[in-house]
Amino acid sequence: MASSPDVTPSAGNTPENPESGSVPEASENPVGTARRGRVRARRAAVMAVPATLVAGALAVLTAEGALGVQFAISGMPFTVTATELNGTGFEQFGGLDNMAPGSPNEGDTGGQVLIVTSAIKNATLTKLCQSVDLGGTNLLITAGGGAEKVSATDLTTDSTELSGDAAFNNIEIGNDASTLTKAGVKGPIGVFSQQADTVRIANLRQTNYATTAGVFKLPGLKLRFSSTGC
Amino acid sequence: MNGPDGFRSAFRRWRADRPFWGGLLLALGGAWILLTMKASLKVILHVGMQGLAGYLLPALMVLLGLLTLFNPAQRLFYSITGILVTLGTWLTSNLGGFFVGLLLGAVGSCLAFGWLPDQEPRRGRRQRRKEAAAAAP
Repeated sequence: MASSPDVTPSAGNTPENPESGSVPEASENPVGTARRGRVRARRAAVMAVPATLVAGALAVLTAEGALGVQFAISGMPFTVTATELNGTGFEQFGGLDNMAPGSPNEGDTGGQVLIVTSAIKNATLTKLCQSVDLGGTNLLITAGGGAEKVSATDLTTDSTELSGDAAFNNIEIGNDASTLTKAGVKGPIGVFSQQADTVRIANLRQTNYATTAGVFKLPGLKLRFSSTGC
Repeated sequence: MNGPDGFRSAFRRWRADRPFWGGLLLALGGAWILLTMKASLKVILHVGMQGLAGYLLPALMVLLGLLTLFNPAQRLFYSITGILVTLGTWLTSNLGGFFVGLLLGAVGSCLAFGWLPDQEPRRGRRQRRKEAAAAAP
């Protein structure tokens, strides 16, 4: 039967249990009343309590903006909104993003999405709101609502939709995407692109397919589940 | 020992001598985090060492979870490393896979840490008290 090869290696493993010593395997006993390993609540608490404290401390430090976190999301659509974005070192170019073969998000797109890649070297965002659709429920991340703003470095986003009131400083339009210099990302050769020294976008709204940020500082972080997105 | 019953009892016995849920949850947590962040390799290389850590930590979580299952003797080391790596993913990997993976990994590590082999069968508190009362006089 298929079960037998599954049993043998495990029986070989059992004597390795340091505490059990010479106590014979429970195999002679009927299952259920056998002596078997289990979790001791007090022992688990020895680790659970400090771990919870550390996790709480991490969350608090992040929410105060003292600790930067890193983001790398891709393959699932998510929305980012902010009342204001200020950035230095801005690049933008078009491209085609391929989904993983057989991805459930494929729909009628044939697995390819036309995207706009925006890269910003340093950015600060006011009242950032980010929502990810987790199938039925949305995960909502809000930050930067207070006096301190969200800051991000090496922010790269692949968007399908981008709207807002933008103002650029020192903009160069119509470069080849492979010659971009302002944010350190280079696009494919022969693709239209633009770059600017500074950018300011009010009432930003993006639908993204991928985002990466080297360091994200999120003061006033709130994480919650909600039925509606941003 | 043949048929589905034999397989099930064999599986239960296999489960009984290792921190099954601990290892499983830790591995699942790592897998979930990896699922939420499949950024393209080109971008990762651009971000540099930090971007690589974002992948390394959840991959380690999966590895440690599986090792807990298949080499339960070393579960203390695996669970302590597991909890540290799990907490590290908050910084490197999408807030620990949007918190879900972090929670799975932390619960898994704690279960693996608290697990002991060869325990008495579980008894209720009332039953224990009754036994103590019977033994007292």
